[in-house]
Amino acid sequence: MKKLLLFFLLILSLFSCSGGSEQGIVLQSEADLSGLRVGTVSGSIYDLQLSSRKDITLQLFNSESDLLQALKNRKIDVAVHDEVVFNAVVRKENGMKIALLEEQAFPTAFMMRKDNSELAQTLTAIQERMEADGSMQRLKDYWLTDRYAQESAYSHIPAEPSGKPIRVATAADSSPISFLIDGEWYGIEIDLLRELGRELHRPLEIKRYDSGSCIMAVSSGLADVLCGCIFVTPEREEQFLFSKPYHSYHPAYFVLDTEAGMERESLITGIKNGVRKNILVENRWKFITDGLWETLKISFLAILLGSLLGVGLYAMAHSRRGWMHAFVKLYNGFIAGIPELVLLLILFYVVFARSGVPSDMVAVMAFALFFASGASDIYETSLGAIPHGQTEAGLALGFTRVQTFFHIVLPQAIRRGLPLYRGQCVSLLKGTSIVGYIAIQDLTRAGDIIRSRTFDAVIPLLVVTLIYFLLVWLIGLLLKLATPKKKVL
Amino acid sequence: MITVSHLSKTYYNPDGSILHVLKDVNCEINPGEVISIIGPSGTGKSTFLRALNLLDPPTGGSIVFNGENILAKDYPVHKMRQKVGMVFQNFNLFDHMTVLENVMYAPCKIKKESLETAREEGLALLRKVGLAEKADVYPASLSGGQKQRVAIARCLAMKPEVILFDEPTSALDPTMVGEVLSVIRQLAKEGMTMLIVTHEMKFARDVSTRIFFMNEGIIYEDGPARQVFEKPRRSATKAFVQRIRKEVFQIDDPDFDFPGMETRIRRFCIKYNIAEKCEPAFQACQLMLKEVMSAYMPFTLRITHSELSADTSLDFMVEGLESSPLAAPGVSPAFLEQLRSLCKDIVEEPTTRGFRVKLSL
Repeated sequence: MKKLLLFFLLILSLFSCSGGSEQGIVLQSEADLSGLRVGTVSGSIYDLQLSSRKDITLQLFNSESDLLQALKNRKIDVAVHDEVVFNAVVRKENGMKIALLEEQAFPTAFMMRKDNSELAQTLTAIQERMEADGSMQRLKDYWLTDRYAQESAYSHIPAEPSGKPIRVATAADSSPISFLIDGEWYGIEIDLLRELGRELHRPLEIKRYDSGSCIMAVSSGLADVLCGCIFVTPEREEQFLFSKPYHSYHPAYFVLDTEAGMERESLITGIKNGVRKNILVENRWKFITDGLWETLKISFLAILLGSLLGVGLYAMAHSRRGWMHAFVKLYNGFIAGIPELVLLLILFYVVFARSGVPSDMVAVMAFALFFASGASDIYETSLGAIPHGQTEAGLALGFTRVQTFFHIVLPQAIRRGLPLYRGQCVSLLKGTSIVGYIAIQDLTRAGDIIRSRTFDAVIPLLVVTLIYFLLVWLIGLLLKLATPKKKVL
Repeated sequence: MITVSHLSKTYYNPDGSILHVLKDVNCEINPGEVISIIGPSGTGKSTFLRALNLLDPPTGGSIVFNGENILAKDYPVHKMRQKVGMVFQNFNLFDHMTVLENVMYAPCKIKKESLETAREEGLALLRKVGLAEKADVYPASLSGGQKQRVAIARCLAMKPEVILFDEPTSALDPTMVGEVLSVIRQLAKEGMTMLIVTHEMKFARDVSTRIFFMNEGIIYEDGPARQVFEKPRRSATKAFVQRIRKEVFQIDDPDFDFPGMETRIRRFCIKYNIAEKCEPAFQACQLMLKEVMSAYMPFTLRITHSELSADTSLDFMVEGLESSPLAAPGVSPAFLEQLRSLCKDIVEEPTTRGFRVKLSL
């Protein structure tokens, strides 16, 4: 196990440090992108702009950290994003530079549904007041220069203690816009929203949505307001309401700084620093433990509920009513045909969008629906494999029907079905890694959050992988304990 | 002890047809009786037996067990089954338990016997069926005969008042039938009340106090074993008990599977309890094939046995032949001498389709 791990580490570190020296890329204008491999974050404004260009190879990434990693690993030549997201400190740490800063800046504001004009007006009013009394300038001086990054404790406006929460969706998990430290959100947009909360005496309920699905969160009514460096565009203004833009950000073209020359660390110090940076600093391990808890909770409840639903399906498949058989057939066909992620998104953004059901319960439901289908199959194969003669022998000895089932048939069926059941549980556990799409911070997403802060791929992914390994092993162990003992008397 | 009146059982096939397996079964079973249920297949023998402990609930009539109507609506069926043991054709041992656990399980769980008592009694029962040394192995490692003896011990562990045997030897290799039958014989001697569905005619005749001959869904003839076998009152009974068992081999060319034939003849002899005739049958076959019959291929060889008269014979039949192969020129007198010493009688006779040489063993 230890050797395997070291080997794994070595491979990963080789990949992350690969690449030789090349000539630096020089960009005079946007046109110079021609022929290059360009990356940006999917669903962003750059995604829309660049996807029409046929002369570049566009690659889309799910998060800022993935984008940066791709640039570092030379999978892309140029990364396009807001200048502010990869600030001077990040650029220095990761050996990259701005090759070109666009002249034209994009106005950035908070986005709401059209029927939420009250909130938009309040926000605009607050911003205007702050501009008048100079506090807006102080806020920008702090966050938008690189000053904040030098300080150990970030400025922070305390949250309102009570009231109906304002549901905030954020598309960004990157400083200085909106970012998480030790379970608390920071950033310029967060501070502005806290001002809003203070005005309305309402606390904030902030959830991180995928850049691809964050707009859906607002349009479906799951969130009241969307932040995270949202540019105001004419297309968006047709469908949504914006507060007054608080700032305009410049798009930037980031490339590797070939002259800077990254310092090469030895493997051991690399790992040491990686662990410190990714796990210990700012209590980042808390993301992992919270995510682990979320993953465990969703998996456990889904397995429990799914197993019970499976019993129902099994009973229906064996009932005398024809329509029940038809239902089970239809159900299994439906489950077999729909990807887990799609069902999860449908349940979250369509079916339960306005019901107020918490997102983790929606996830439990989605996975339980999948699990039920598999579980009923397992009951079918394992109970079906026990010959009817066993039941008859039990009855003939004088056991009642119920006793016969529990004393004689079930113990044998469990032994047959447990390996299948274990496989089902493991695949469910691993399958829950997609719940990040509906704004749940599970174990996988915890790794993503850490990566978005540290821009380091190796350690967070490795730690998350290791924990999944342990969980799978744990499931095996638990089910082994649940196996009926060899000795029956 | 058990009174059955007008018992009937009807199956509704999925295709809509109706099958009357039991039409009108009436009988009275008294303590101490050993009743063998015989008859052609498909006449409801097993269905009748399984109706008695309601594994296959009857559709009509009544069954009274120890004065209680067990078909009454709220009758506790499992209580009755504790007193009516059953031994199945396929043993149905609990594969996930050891032999001893199989025997102890029901007394422990149903009668709440202590582990020690159940263990002692279980071991005593296993000793009785000769399997005490297998107490801690799993059924998978037992032979069919051993499994069935464990099943009998398991059934006895509940101290039943009557035991139902549903073709207890039908799934067994012929070599293992004897060990199971001897255990049942022992139980009969001890006065256990038993109903046995069986195809073992000799066993049925020897062990039973009474025979039910079932035919067409009713008990067609009911009487003491001697009477049913030796002086059957009805013609269908007579035809059944006097029927002749046979095994036929069509020998077309020298490529015929002769070793396979030997095995089948051996099985035949063991199955019908005529193992002592096995060796003479082989010798007679080999002699005939070597000296005479190789010139008469294709021909048919048949071994027949009448369970009632205990007559066994080998028939060599050649189609379109008009004279005996034994009378052909070139058949050595020494061979004929040797053949006669093996057989009780040799009959050479023409048949409608050819000629037959019948060797009685």
